[in-house]
Amino acid sequence: MLLRGLTWLVLFQLCGTAINVLWLPMLPGPIIGMLLLLGFLLLRGEVGEPLSVAATGLLRYLPLLLVPAAVGVMVYMRVLAADFWAIAGALTLSLLLSLAFAGWLMQKLIERQARRGGES
Amino acid sequence: MAAWQAVIHHPLFGVGITLAAYQLALTAYEKTRWVFLQPVLLSMLAVIGVLLACGLSYVEYKQSAQLLIVLLGPATVALAVPLYVNLRRIRQLFWPTVLTLLIGGVLATLLGVLLAWLFGAEQMILMTIAPKSVTSPIAMLVAEQIGGVAALAAVFVLITGVLGAMCGPELLRLIGVRHPAAVGMALGLTAHAVGTARALQEDEESGAFAALAMSLMGMATAVFLPLMVSLLS
Repeated sequence: MLLRGLTWLVLFQLCGTAINVLWLPMLPGPIIGMLLLLGFLLLRGEVGEPLSVAATGLLRYLPLLLVPAAVGVMVYMRVLAADFWAIAGALTLSLLLSLAFAGWLMQKLIERQARRGGES
Repeated sequence: MAAWQAVIHHPLFGVGITLAAYQLALTAYEKTRWVFLQPVLLSMLAVIGVLLACGLSYVEYKQSAQLLIVLLGPATVALAVPLYVNLRRIRQLFWPTVLTLLIGGVLATLLGVLLAWLFGAEQMILMTIAPKSVTSPIAMLVAEQIGGVAALAAVFVLITGVLGAMCGPELLRLIGVRHPAAVGMALGLTAHAVGTARALQEDEESGAFAALAMSLMGMATAVFLPLMVSLLS
C-alpha cells in the first residue's frame, strides 16, 4: 500500500519536473507535481487508499525532512547578522498587521453574508 | 582517532545526527508544549552544534543527509492530499474565504517585503521573506525560484508561525474578532501549520478553517508569487 502510494507521488513529481523543463520554468517541479495530483484527485473525486497511506506517512515526518534544509542557515550567518533588525522587524510587524487584518476582514465578510442571508 | 574520522565522515552520519536530534527535539516539545520549542528549529540548532563541534562543513552534511533530502520532493507533492480534503470544505463560506485569501494573502506577502525593504534589507533577503506565510516546503521552493535562499526561508517561515501562534489568538480577541471561522482563517493564512495547530486548540471550526486557509495560501503563493516575480523582472 505504502509503496504503491509512494510510486504515485514520485511519478507525479517526475511529471512535474518534465513539465517544468519543457514549458513552465517559473514553477518548481514538485509544485507542478502537487498541482497535477490535485487535478487528478478533483477528477477522480476521492483519495485512494494507497495514496492516502503514503501521503499521511510522509507528511507526518515532514518536519524531520525539513531539518537538513534548515541547517543550511549556518552558511548564511553573516547575512543574517547584517540584516538582523530589518528581518526581525519585518517578520513581526507584517505578521501582526496581516493577521489582525485577515481576521477582521473575514469576520466582516461573514457578518455581511449572514445579513444578506437573513434579508432574502 | 581513525575510528572517529570514519564515523563522522560516514555517508550516513548526517542522517544519523538528524534523526537523533529530531527525536530529542520532539520529546522536548511534547514534554513542555512550548510553542517556541518547534522541533525543526530545535533540531536545526542541535545539528549545527554537532557539525561545528566535529568541524564538518554544510556541504559534507548535505551529502550525508541526502536520504532525507530527496524525500522532501514527494512530501511536497503529497500536500495535494490535505489540500484536496480541505478544499471540499470551502463551500460553507465561499466568498468570505476567497476574498480574505486574496486580500489578506497579498497583504501578508507584500507587507513583509515592503517592511524589509524599508528597513534596508538586501534583495536576496526580500525574496526570501516574500513566501514567509506559507508552509515550509512550498516556501523553500518558491524562495529559491525567485532568487532567495531555501534555508533562510525555512527559518523565517518557522519564526512567523511561532509568532502567529503565540500572539495571534490574543491579538484577535483584542480587536474583537470572535467568529471561529475568522480566527482560524487569520491563523492559517498568516501562520501556516503552527498557526493551524494553535487554532485547533481554540476550537474545532477554527482548526478546520485554519487548515483550509493554509492549504489555499500555500497553493496561491506557489503559483502566483513566481509568476508575478517573473513578470515584473
